[in-house]
Amino acid sequence: MLDELLAPKYLGWLIEGFGVTLLLSALVSVAATALGLALCLGRIAPSRLWSWPARAWLSVFRNTPLLVQLFFWYFGASALMPEGLLIWLNTPHHWDLALFGVRWPSFEYLAGFFGLTLYTAAFIAEEFRSGVRGVPAGQIAAAQALGFTPLQVWLNVVMPQAFRISLPPLLGQYMNAVKNSSLTMAIGLAELSYASRQVETETFKTFQAFGVATALYILTIIVIELAGQWLQRRRPAPGAAGA
Amino acid sequence: MDFTVVADNFSYFMLGAWPDGPLGGAALTLALSVVSALASGVLGLVFGIALAMTRGAAHNVLLLGLGFFRAIPVIMLIFWTYFLLPILFGIDVPGTGTVVVALSLIGGSYLAHSVHAGILSLPPGQWQAAAALGLRRGQALRLVILPQALPIMVPSFINQWVALVKDTSLAYVIGVGELSFVATQVSNREMVYPTEIFLFVALVYFIFCSTLELCANRVARRFGTGAG
Amino acid sequence: MTKPRNKLRLATLVALSLLSGLAQADRLDDIKKNGVLRVAAFDSNPPFGFIDPQTKQISGLDVDYAKELAARLGVKLELVPTNPANRIPLLTANKVDIVLANFTITEERAKQVNFSIPYFASGQQFIARKGTLSSPDQLGKLRIGVDKGTTNEIVLREKYPSATLVAYDDTPFAFTALRNGNVQAITQDGPKLIGLLANVPDKDKYEIPPFSISNDLIGAGLPKGETRLTEFVNTSLRELEASGKAQTIYDAWFGPDTKTPLTRIFRIGDK
Repeated sequence: MLDELLAPKYLGWLIEGFGVTLLLSALVSVAATALGLALCLGRIAPSRLWSWPARAWLSVFRNTPLLVQLFFWYFGASALMPEGLLIWLNTPHHWDLALFGVRWPSFEYLAGFFGLTLYTAAFIAEEFRSGVRGVPAGQIAAAQALGFTPLQVWLNVVMPQAFRISLPPLLGQYMNAVKNSSLTMAIGLAELSYASRQVETETFKTFQAFGVATALYILTIIVIELAGQWLQRRRPAPGAAGA
Repeated sequence: MDFTVVADNFSYFMLGAWPDGPLGGAALTLALSVVSALASGVLGLVFGIALAMTRGAAHNVLLLGLGFFRAIPVIMLIFWTYFLLPILFGIDVPGTGTVVVALSLIGGSYLAHSVHAGILSLPPGQWQAAAALGLRRGQALRLVILPQALPIMVPSFINQWVALVKDTSLAYVIGVGELSFVATQVSNREMVYPTEIFLFVALVYFIFCSTLELCANRVARRFGTGAG
Repeated sequence: MTKPRNKLRLATLVALSLLSGLAQADRLDDIKKNGVLRVAAFDSNPPFGFIDPQTKQISGLDVDYAKELAARLGVKLELVPTNPANRIPLLTANKVDIVLANFTITEERAKQVNFSIPYFASGQQFIARKGTLSSPDQLGKLRIGVDKGTTNEIVLREKYPSATLVAYDDTPFAFTALRNGNVQAITQDGPKLIGLLANVPDKDKYEIPPFSISNDLIGAGLPKGETRLTEFVNTSLRELEASGKAQTIYDAWFGPDTKTPLTRIFRIGDK
């Protein structure tokens, strides 16, 4: 069972699935970072008008399983959408951006991206929040004493440090995004885990199919880990907190 | 929306086929969570202490092993344990056992690092003072270090357990009849109520997890380590 | 250092005895000895296998056959729910003794598992919204939902490479995707689709176009090399046909008075 390797065709499927996994996790990481920052700002806002909805969002998305959320978005929410919107989402559209055309993603891709982003953002928001809390209060007082406006205090003093403090846990969340993207196979998105099951169906080489997929996941995590260590060395967090 | 589908199948969602069949549904989710939480806590403590007490090659091997379980997606580990262990080594782990093993290994690996960090967070003077009192390293750990470090770790334990409750839903891929699995069975049979069913299921998980989170916050406040 | 080495030796011994145990044992004897027959059946595919809302147990045509087999062995029946993709792994990983889950007999699969003689026949068909699909020529242009780990997926990919396939864990997932407009058609064995459509409240919106793209024979899947167990299943199936029990089972799920009336075109022993 171990002596047979996978035919190039099936390795190709796995590589293709791996590409989807990487692209999806990268897009989710970017979108979830932006959304997470917004949620964090909402959560720490002095006004309850902002902090309570943010609090509710974090609580709901952090305390329910991603699988159930994905099922809800893909099967449940699309049952609620008006038919016209669904048809529009499902038909390929073409936008020609400057040099290259952008292919319209499948509905699985949209739902997977949407579900993963909303979920990941809730975790990233909390990492940012502890980053902000990690900025010593004295710094803010000092900046205010120097005559900085509240906005300047935020942009020039709090944010840069908070970012640096939250970098390691943030990278942890990006790793989670890669691993969690495996759940989108349940809604038919042809990423790496989906591809490994498909190769298994056609070749019955369970060990090889899962082995290659597992190795690719671990490789990705190692690369993120190394990138994190490199970034950390270049710009260590203030006071080496959160190392 | 029509939630009668939830009312009609309520006992199946909560208990599975029990008492005429094996326990399933939300009750099985709870059972899987509790057992995996305990096992991951023990593993986390053992490996975390091992991380703190080892140096050199042993330390690196341990790091590598823990790194593997932190890098592999839960779904993949569940597949490996359920389908490949029997083929490769002739070890047969039943479905529920697979979930407990996979979740506690992964949870334990994360917790090991929290435990390690908790032990490291104490000033080195604590170790030195213990040594000056004539305690051996093991005694120092047990009598001086752990009693101080454990309360610091409580929030990360509870956060990990919340993640674990949610991850029991992945038992669905190998047909273990926990809440998500029985919910898809009903959704598949009734066909037209996925929104209602998955909203209800999300609510049940939400109740489980936020109860845990509330406990975490309460404990964190008690030990003065900030909100979880 | 003697202690760990002894432990290792013990572990090796245990592992070896387990492995040799696997190689020597005859599954039929094991089943009788343990008093339990473990059968994998569908839990989401009426009328082959589904959760009965009243009893909360898996029931259906496949389950009736499983019950007959267990009764003949005089052992308890333990049903393990499965989706299409888990069927072969469940057998090769020794999680079940028999798969009775609308399992199409193919040469490729026969290299991995044993098959009994067929007890059901069907063809691969489609469900689409009324008016969207009338001939196989259109398939190449459609987005089609399939089930992971089925022959349907493989056949469709070979015959209509230009079709876009989206694979789901089970047929009802694929149907939900069809209902939501994510795919334009879904494919499965005809009788399974009829069973599915019969349970849909707005079934008049959908149709099963009257063509099929393959002819499939359905058999019981058994662990590779378990000759005696396979023989037992074959004999039982023939006897069930001879006694009329097979017809009774068929009529209970596909007879004229059911939600899914379908003429019986195949009898056990025909092929």
